[in-house]
Amino acid sequence: MGPEKLQTSSALEAGTTGAATTPRKKTSEFREVFKYLLRNRGAVIGLIIIGFFIIASLAAPLLATHSATSTSLANRLQPASGAHWLGTDELGRDLYSRMLYGGRISLNIGIISVLIGALLGVPIGAISGYYGGKLDIITQRFIDIMIAFPGILLAIVVVTVLGVGVQNVMIATGIASVPIYARLVRGSVLSIKEQSYVTAARAAGLRDGTIIFKHVLPNCLAPLIVQSTFQIATSILWAAGLGFLGLGAQAPTPEWGAILSNGRAYIRTAHHLTTFPGLAILFMVLGFNLVGDGLRDALDPKTR
Amino acid sequence: MNATLPVLSVRNLKKHFPIRTGVFSRVTGHVKAVDGVSFEIFPGETFALVGESGCGKSTTGRIILRLQNATDGSVHFNQEDVYAASFQRLRLLRKEMQIVFQDPYSALNPRLTVGSAIREILQVHGLASGAEARERAEDVLIRCGLERYHADRYPHEFSGGQRQRVVIARALALDPRFIVADEPISALDVSIQSQIINLLEDLQDSFDLTYLFISHDLSVVRHVADRVGVMYLGKLVEVGDKAEFYREPLHPYSQSLLSAIPVSDPAIKKKRIILKGDVPSPANPPAGCPFHTRCPHVMEVCRTVVPELKATAEGRHVACHLVHPPA
Repeated sequence: MGPEKLQTSSALEAGTTGAATTPRKKTSEFREVFKYLLRNRGAVIGLIIIGFFIIASLAAPLLATHSATSTSLANRLQPASGAHWLGTDELGRDLYSRMLYGGRISLNIGIISVLIGALLGVPIGAISGYYGGKLDIITQRFIDIMIAFPGILLAIVVVTVLGVGVQNVMIATGIASVPIYARLVRGSVLSIKEQSYVTAARAAGLRDGTIIFKHVLPNCLAPLIVQSTFQIATSILWAAGLGFLGLGAQAPTPEWGAILSNGRAYIRTAHHLTTFPGLAILFMVLGFNLVGDGLRDALDPKTR
Repeated sequence: MNATLPVLSVRNLKKHFPIRTGVFSRVTGHVKAVDGVSFEIFPGETFALVGESGCGKSTTGRIILRLQNATDGSVHFNQEDVYAASFQRLRLLRKEMQIVFQDPYSALNPRLTVGSAIREILQVHGLASGAEARERAEDVLIRCGLERYHADRYPHEFSGGQRQRVVIARALALDPRFIVADEPISALDVSIQSQIINLLEDLQDSFDLTYLFISHDLSVVRHVADRVGVMYLGKLVEVGDKAEFYREPLHPYSQSLLSAIPVSDPAIKKKRIILKGDVPSPANPPAGCPFHTRCPHVMEVCRTVVPELKATAEGRHVACHLVHPPA
């Protein structure tokens, strides 16, 4: 809090001294936000973590020491060693290499399903909350029904309809998170639409769409970002659950959740099969969380 | 003054909010927030609407601008029916009619610089864009006593009084003719209140504005208003010229309100009229005169017959059986 306060006041002074009659060169909003993000230590650590995972998955073919799928029953369930850095699984596959390739799938699942969920859920919630009335009642009863199912069950239904496969898992987990977004955004919109600045925008003759996108939704951002960082983790775990049920990534395809689920059977004899994928998921979620927190502050003019 | 046409003419305006109860949200009654209000505002004048909280004065302001829809009645702005206007037409009308809010803290979007908030409404109405919009936004801020560089500031960087200046600047940006000032100073420190009042008065002179000034502060109203309307339980009980109203209020409710204004000279002993009881619920207003439950001069007729707002011989308007004895 302390250093942030100082930043604010120095920004104020900068504003005052820069108050010339000539229009000042405005730095773009994006650069401004990024600048503040980089001043936040937590966010920087988060960016490093996410960057590490992204580079590792992109460079998987270069970094992998073994094939991700070839089995070697002679070397099954070996602990970490010089030959197998993170040990091997129940079929003798190199865990290190599998996790590198698995990161590609898990990162994709986490990010894409959150994008799908947010892109569908946010407009539904915003429209439902902003317009209210019968539209709101009907939408929210529908959302109630979706929320009544556990997310994983909903995802199973969607995968069953769409068919098995990693892509469909992303869509399914995305759809399963739609009601969460819709409900969250609706709640925020309900309180924000009562603010006088929304009334003022209407009095000024702004269109509903402009009001929703420029005045209402930006003020719902904080809970949305926090929810999204958690939802990345939830999606990865849902995807793992689907994989476990044979509905997600199919057998030889490495995916963190699936590796974790498979390793569960050997937790007493070969704990590395659950420890390493578990740590990977943990750190990825931590990374997104830190960045999310930093982003929330950087996007809020009050805290930056 | 009455020879000119009114800027705003409100006829029998009503706003009833339904009370819904039970699982099926059945309407079991109505809160009669505004219940048959009529008045006219003439060019260049300040019409003050006074009354205690909950009497419907703010709701009246909002339904005049059609920010909420009226249940019944009509609003004419420059002889044009606001409630008959199409969506497109209403946008144009809103250029002419603006609102200043009570709470300057919630009246500004915390994520927009005040300059961009003002530019946005200029652009929406096609009045200016780009550098020109920037120029106009800064001009209007300067007109309201702020500085050019304030355009790049966010609302949280301003004090309450400055924020209210921004809110006023935003309302002025569209160059309106008529402004609803909904308790514009009651959320501000006393030391700032007079500054904002003076600003509103200066702007009225230089932009030829007409105000509907909503307030519960009778000493402020005495300073700014040309005419005063007193509301009680969703109804206008007295409308009159400021000087006459303050000299001799006719309605018992107005009399009690005026007796409550503190006097700066302690030597002056004033008779306070203290009303008994509370304001009745607007969901279940009393029969007859709405004020009869608390009126010190209550008569039998007050309990059954609703007094109408009628002109007296001197041309003042009051809704009271004492002034207009029923036939």
